[in-house]
Amino acid sequence: MYVMKRGVHTAMSLNSMGHLLRETGRSLTRNAWMALASVSTVTISLFVLAVFVVVSVNVNHVTHILENQVEMRVFIKPHVSRRQEMVLYHQARHWPQVRRIDFFTKKQAAQNLKNEFPDQQDLFQVIQKSNPLFDGFDVYTKTPQQISTVAARMTKDPIVHNVVYQGTVVRRLSRLGNILKWSGWVIEGLLAIATMLIIVNTIRLAVFARRREIQVMRLVGATDWFIRWPFILEGLIIGLVGAAAADVVVGSGYHWVLGRAATSLPFWPMAGLHRVLDETTLFTVVGGLVVGGLASIIAVRRFLKV
Amino acid sequence: MIRIEGVTKRYPNGHYGLTDVSLTVHRGEFVFLVGPSGAGKSTLIRLLYGEERPSTGEVTIDHFRLTTMRLRHLPKLRRQLGIVFQDVKLLPTRNVFQNVAFAMEVVGASKKEIQKRVPQVLELVGLARRKDNFPNQLSGGEQQRVGIARALVNQPTYVLADEPTGNLDPDTASDIMRLFLEINRRGATVVMATHARDLVNQLQKRVVAIEGGRIVRDEARGAYGYES
Repeated sequence: MYVMKRGVHTAMSLNSMGHLLRETGRSLTRNAWMALASVSTVTISLFVLAVFVVVSVNVNHVTHILENQVEMRVFIKPHVSRRQEMVLYHQARHWPQVRRIDFFTKKQAAQNLKNEFPDQQDLFQVIQKSNPLFDGFDVYTKTPQQISTVAARMTKDPIVHNVVYQGTVVRRLSRLGNILKWSGWVIEGLLAIATMLIIVNTIRLAVFARRREIQVMRLVGATDWFIRWPFILEGLIIGLVGAAAADVVVGSGYHWVLGRAATSLPFWPMAGLHRVLDETTLFTVVGGLVVGGLASIIAVRRFLKV
Repeated sequence: MIRIEGVTKRYPNGHYGLTDVSLTVHRGEFVFLVGPSGAGKSTLIRLLYGEERPSTGEVTIDHFRLTTMRLRHLPKLRRQLGIVFQDVKLLPTRNVFQNVAFAMEVVGASKKEIQKRVPQVLELVGLARRKDNFPNQLSGGEQQRVGIARALVNQPTYVLADEPTGNLDPDTASDIMRLFLEINRRGATVVMATHARDLVNQLQKRVVAIEGGRIVRDEARGAYGYES
């Protein structure tokens, strides 16, 4: 008898895998311009996402450094005698709010800077010759609420140049960080929708370009997921390639910024390249896959009636 | 076995495709569906491969109950069927071999199986030497042979054909019809909707006539019965 039964292949076999990759590749190359448009859109929106991540990593970096620094730093005017400084020092030690007060000379300040920024040695050569820094105190209060009282009292003293207390800075920075985070998510959400619409359209065109194949596949009994997978994969690849491109742009951009910052903002603590790239890659790759995958699932559901 | 019991197909626009149709086709049979255009022949074929569902009644093919079957089980049924259309539906960017092989690829056949099966089927339909040609380089009859080869390559139990000779000249149509007879002789059940009066008369197979969505005649060794 001519008729011979074969089982239905439900699991994805190696043969199907080959077919899947071939079909996806064919679709991407046939639709090259549309695919390129999608990839560029993904790249642009993930680039924006990555920039937000970079800024926010840096804000967190600075916040963290400041949080670990002293609560308040009091700088003494130049040319004030050590005796006058010591008078204030001993008075302040007995203020009820002060938990601890440390005196430092401008020489020590220079040394500390030198330890904090080991990359800027030539600059410290200059500093050591004519030190532009100030003598001062590191003041710790018993409670954070007392900082402003102590600061105000210090500021009134005639030998005090200025008072910097990190509490406000830290608070402002973390507020800035929050604003960045939320506005980042909102902008990113809008961009993600726009990106998804473009990918949906790309997949729609891919489905349309292959409508004859799809019809034949359905008639000879290809499973729904066998028909769908190449399109889902196409969306995922678009997302992933877009993410990779965004990472390359952001990575080299940040590398350049770090180089510039080292010369023009030498005292500004920038987060390291690797730490930033770790974060941005995570966000862009996950973002690319989610946007690409979601878009292709939407497209397949709407335009591929299997 | 194909069993159609009390099937009515009513379209959303209120038009009736079929009304209270019952029909049984046993394994190994060769059945012509005849009747005027729009009588419901195509609707009947479409019900058989699950493209449409009846409004009422039962359609059963072997153990598949098409009326209640889940959509995701449809591929399993379709792998038992070889479907041939008047407008062959070949893929223009693939050659003859690739068009036939495609049907095997998408059900997960191995390269080895494909390399073995496709030449056999092309030999059967008489296109072994045309395997590298593209559809637009073939005559209508040759294109239909590719369509038949594609329907056969997965070794279906049932072959459903919707006016497969509709676009062909009488001599070519006769060749194609002989091919279906050969397929039937080798064991496949064939259900064919056709307008090929002379061939139906000549072959003396079972003829089911449909008019206005109802079966009006079912003869074991029938004739076409309409003037064309």
